[in-house]
Amino acid sequence: MLNALLGFALTIGTAQAGSLRYAEDHAPAIVNPLFSTTMSEARLNELVFEGLFSDDRELRSAPRLAQRIELAEDKLSATLWLKDGLHWHDGKPVVPDDVVFTINAMKNRYTASTEGARVTWIDKVEKVDENSVIMYFTGPEVAPQDKLHFKILPAHRFDGTTVKRSDPFRTKPIGTGPWVMMSFNDDNSVSLQQNSFSPSSPKISEVVMREVSDKNYQAKLLIYQSLEALVRVLPRDLAALQNDRRIELYPYQTNSWWYVGFNQKDARLKYVRVRRAISLMTDVPNLLAPIGTGDTLTGPFVRSSPYYNHKVSAWPHAPDAAADLLVEAGYTFNGRHWMGSDGKELSIRIATLQNLETAQDVVINMQSQLQNRGITVEVDFLTIAEWKERVWRRKDFDLVLSQWSFDRNEDVYEHFHSKGARNFVGYSNENVDKLLEDARLADDPQLKKNLLREVHAIVHNDLPMRFLWTLDSYSALSVKVKNVEIHPFYFFTWTPDWSVE
Amino acid sequence: MVRRVVRIVVSAALTVAGAVGLVLLMMALAPGDPIDLIPGGEAIRPQLEAEWGLDQPLVVRWLQTLGRMARGDLGTSISYRPGAPVLEVIGAASVRSLGWLLAALLLAATQSVALAWYTAGRSSWIRGLLRWVSVAPVFLLAHLSVHSINTITFWGMNLSYWGRPEWFALPDQPSSVRAVLAVVLLAVGSGAVTELHLEVESALTRIRASGYVDAARARGSSTFRLVAWNLLPPLASLLANRAAFFAGGLVVLERVLLLNGAGSILWQSALSHDYPVAMGVALLAAIWVAGARSLADFTRTAVDPRMRESASW
Repeated sequence: MLNALLGFALTIGTAQAGSLRYAEDHAPAIVNPLFSTTMSEARLNELVFEGLFSDDRELRSAPRLAQRIELAEDKLSATLWLKDGLHWHDGKPVVPDDVVFTINAMKNRYTASTEGARVTWIDKVEKVDENSVIMYFTGPEVAPQDKLHFKILPAHRFDGTTVKRSDPFRTKPIGTGPWVMMSFNDDNSVSLQQNSFSPSSPKISEVVMREVSDKNYQAKLLIYQSLEALVRVLPRDLAALQNDRRIELYPYQTNSWWYVGFNQKDARLKYVRVRRAISLMTDVPNLLAPIGTGDTLTGPFVRSSPYYNHKVSAWPHAPDAAADLLVEAGYTFNGRHWMGSDGKELSIRIATLQNLETAQDVVINMQSQLQNRGITVEVDFLTIAEWKERVWRRKDFDLVLSQWSFDRNEDVYEHFHSKGARNFVGYSNENVDKLLEDARLADDPQLKKNLLREVHAIVHNDLPMRFLWTLDSYSALSVKVKNVEIHPFYFFTWTPDWSVE
Repeated sequence: MVRRVVRIVVSAALTVAGAVGLVLLMMALAPGDPIDLIPGGEAIRPQLEAEWGLDQPLVVRWLQTLGRMARGDLGTSISYRPGAPVLEVIGAASVRSLGWLLAALLLAATQSVALAWYTAGRSSWIRGLLRWVSVAPVFLLAHLSVHSINTITFWGMNLSYWGRPEWFALPDQPSSVRAVLAVVLLAVGSGAVTELHLEVESALTRIRASGYVDAARARGSSTFRLVAWNLLPPLASLLANRAAFFAGGLVVLERVLLLNGAGSILWQSALSHDYPVAMGVALLAAIWVAGARSLADFTRTAVDPRMRESASW
């Protein structure tokens, strides 16, 4: 009720400037940036919350809640001043305690924030006065503002820094963002109203997130003008939407890439020859063609990244060379199958997520390619829970097909460092560990670039993963929506400038 | 009679306990658990397992759940709507689903009796037609209906034959059209109309040929009320058997038609391993099925004197 009254107060007197309805596959269960796990939650957070800094149109860090930041000479601490006159949606002022609370809540292990990794570089944070905080880092930082994009939460809405996922805040969130959460509706939609006191002055009066779990309907609903925005268009719907004069397509290039990961705890796949053989048997452009267009990759960065090493050549599709490698690894070909020295067929399982768009097509295509070359392949399509249990906990897999998405920092430390939290394939290379550690500490952008390009070259050769591609991806919006600019990751960052006719 | 009532109540209670246990078992056997779905959840697994009771053996969890349910406490959601009381999560949605199920049963009963009354004892093309209409499963009928209705409506709108209806486009816009469609499809699809029609027709033929109807006819009195009264027990049994099928069909229809009912919640809570919510819905589904069967039993006992005699014996 309070929310509704407040929302009314915030929106009263403002011109009604149309409403924007967009579709998500699943309604978020939690609207709390501490526990953001899906892109649909991240996008909704972008509408309701703000960070200390956010990307400007050139993707440089620009102050949002912060007014300025001053880095100490030793680069081991920084003082940050907040803008004056900022208010939460409930009318309370934004204070340094909110920054201190947010960072401490993210760091609190009993909160188990999904965003905890974003603040591991901050050793501690303290309030200096009524307008500023000081942050102490675990190591030298060159551009801390680039890492201060996480959303700030109102300390006054929580009892302590141990925050539970079940906290009532999850459905009654209070942010500083351009839209105010009004209601979670019976049909799983979420309604937001313009925050007319937001410094970013949003032009659209109402935003509605609708849950449309059947992807087949999403494009249709846009064509029928039941929606104004479709976040991600399926490749098969591109032609229909492109031919509709009431719809405009926009590139939505998330910083993500697809890969085939090899389980290096597996007795066969721990040998690089076997991994290379499988890579050489795989015709990557042929896997990509049926599911869309994109850039094939040779390493763990997108091609437009400064860390992408363009000197590294892609693994060719070379089945004969693959056969030589398998022979060197002790396998023999009996005319139909590759047989190991133990007399067993070389048989592998490829697992992928059921809900990963078009992954099933890729896996089946890859199964066909490898089986044609004498490797028996079984495929598993896993639910998220099965994936977590089998791939992450039990390491019960041979190959996995999946994708990683990154924010602007493109930090691959957790994926390739031998102690990295996301290194579920079990990759270990001392050189890479050292390079990744140095890259994290590098205060010279050129040095960081060189270090990560070297990482790119090494992991390309070591093949903990076969890097596949970045997919061209599009959003579709009604032509009624004007001034559209889409943030490459969070989608809604620049939405305050959008308007609806 | 008392013994029969006790038997019905005990049977209903066992159905509920069994259904809850079955859902718990199925979810426990499914790979993964709710903690797997929380990024970083592994770090605090012992804490969460204790908080959610996952550290207890399955039988203990089942008994605890039944005990809580007996006290009217369905627990709190752990992942679908974290922290929200299950009753609050499923309450309004369950009432909606119950309404749709009752409406579908009523429609199924009305249409099957009306059709059977006409076709019983006749050779009719209606049987063939019903078989064709009813053969498709409800999810397929739902997709076809939504697609056809949307396409035709949009075509008419583009040619200015009509304006944009409030409910357009299905299933996105909240409207009663979605609920009506769900009710009709449940009462028709997955063989419902054919099966019910044939069973009612067979019962009707048997009743019309019975001695007491012949006697009434010989006396020159109207047989309508007599036939209708005697049709009640078999009709009640048929509908009670159909209640479980309808509940299953509604789970699918609610997903396709974006109806936020108990079925849709069951689907999502099962995917997110939210045991309390899934078991809460299972409890309601079991009560629905057990209630329908009990009601059918009571109807048979009340209408058929032979049942009363066997019960008192």
